[in-house]
Amino acid sequence: MQKLGDFKLPQFFNYPPYFTLQPVRDTREKQVQLWKELILDYCRTQKIFVIGLEEEFPLFSNPAIERTLSHEARDAFLLALVSEGRAEWMDKGHRKCLILWHRIQDWADCILNFVKDNGLEDSVMTVEEIRSGTESQGTDLHGMDRTVLMRALRLLEHKGKLAIFKGTSADDEGVKFSI
Amino acid sequence: MRRRPGIGGLQTAAAARDQYRLLGENVAKIRTDLMTEQLATFRSQLEEFARKHKNDIRKNPAFRSQFHEMCAKVGVDPLASNKGFWAELLGIGDFYYELGVQIVDICLATRPHNGGLINLQELCNLLCQRRKSAREAVSEDDCLRAISKLKVLGSGFEVISVGKKKLVRSVPTELNKDHNEILELAQAQGFVTVEEVERRLTWSSGRAIDALETLLKEGLAMIDDGHRDGKRRYWFPCVSSLSSSVGVDSLKI
Repeated sequence: MQKLGDFKLPQFFNYPPYFTLQPVRDTREKQVQLWKELILDYCRTQKIFVIGLEEEFPLFSNPAIERTLSHEARDAFLLALVSEGRAEWMDKGHRKCLILWHRIQDWADCILNFVKDNGLEDSVMTVEEIRSGTESQGTDLHGMDRTVLMRALRLLEHKGKLAIFKGTSADDEGVKFSI
Repeated sequence: MRRRPGIGGLQTAAAARDQYRLLGENVAKIRTDLMTEQLATFRSQLEEFARKHKNDIRKNPAFRSQFHEMCAKVGVDPLASNKGFWAELLGIGDFYYELGVQIVDICLATRPHNGGLINLQELCNLLCQRRKSAREAVSEDDCLRAISKLKVLGSGFEVISVGKKKLVRSVPTELNKDHNEILELAQAQGFVTVEEVERRLTWSSGRAIDALETLLKEGLAMIDDGHRDGKRRYWFPCVSSLSSSVGVDSLKI
């Protein structure tokens, strides 16, 4: 089985026609489904949050069978993820895509669990600390995308679970938990 | 002294006829009895055989196939009914009904990928993967038997031969001769190009394209425009072994 680093690639990745957008509806649905799962799986295990459509991305080509996804195909697969709420375009030109391998809601739950596990229910933390502090090491939160983290925090703020306050510069926004 | 015709002569002749008839009946009866006895012996032997080799029949696919062959030769169908001696003794009916259900499952689950046409070998592999927990091994012969039982349902399960391979069809698509020839051609590399079809089968361009488009629409083919020679390839998941891994994940029920 072919591998990308420690990621085990599915068999369909070695079947050339899966790199061409299929014209027949049923076949295409299956194709899109497989690619969606692959992209989410890969991003989850590799902690990737942003895919640039015009940039090199390991999944977009398979040198072993000399196939590369066309721009149209990349767009179609990501569009399918967007329509399911598992991704979001970051610009109007569909050049960059934010991959939500956890939905914002799930990220929010991750944060809540993290807070409870570490007894931080009434504590104050900076956003940077959540992303890269020692407490979050070994959790999905560690090294997560700042945009996604902020979105999840705002959702929790909206629910009254915490308050976000501004520091003096952009990178030291603080969070006061009140769970 | 010349014997004259008389009542005595006629009676003698009649008596002789009767004797012959009786004798004939006797012989026939003896023969029938003998046959019945032989059959009874045979049946009991077969039963004894089945009982003795019950485990082999259940576990060893090659042995099972030979047992079926033997039964077929003497006109016994152990699968004819789920009730009765054979089923009770061997549970063999259940075995095939179970296989049948699993085959239908696999065919349905892989249909989006292969368009409802699957290589028998492939199907058998998937079946074995799926039955990992079950102790009995399954052979292609078992698959064929189970599929033949599915015909009763009238759902159009059918085994077709294309070239050297056997394919199991689970959709009512009729494949004509042209389609079969293309599938046969595709077995070499897993794909064909329009050019190749024209050249190898000496068809007109229209005929080749038409047949390929039909196969595409039926979901039996997938296009591939990614090769660097720029020629469109038509791939057939049903003749390549890749279909085993695609779709098998969705089979974990």
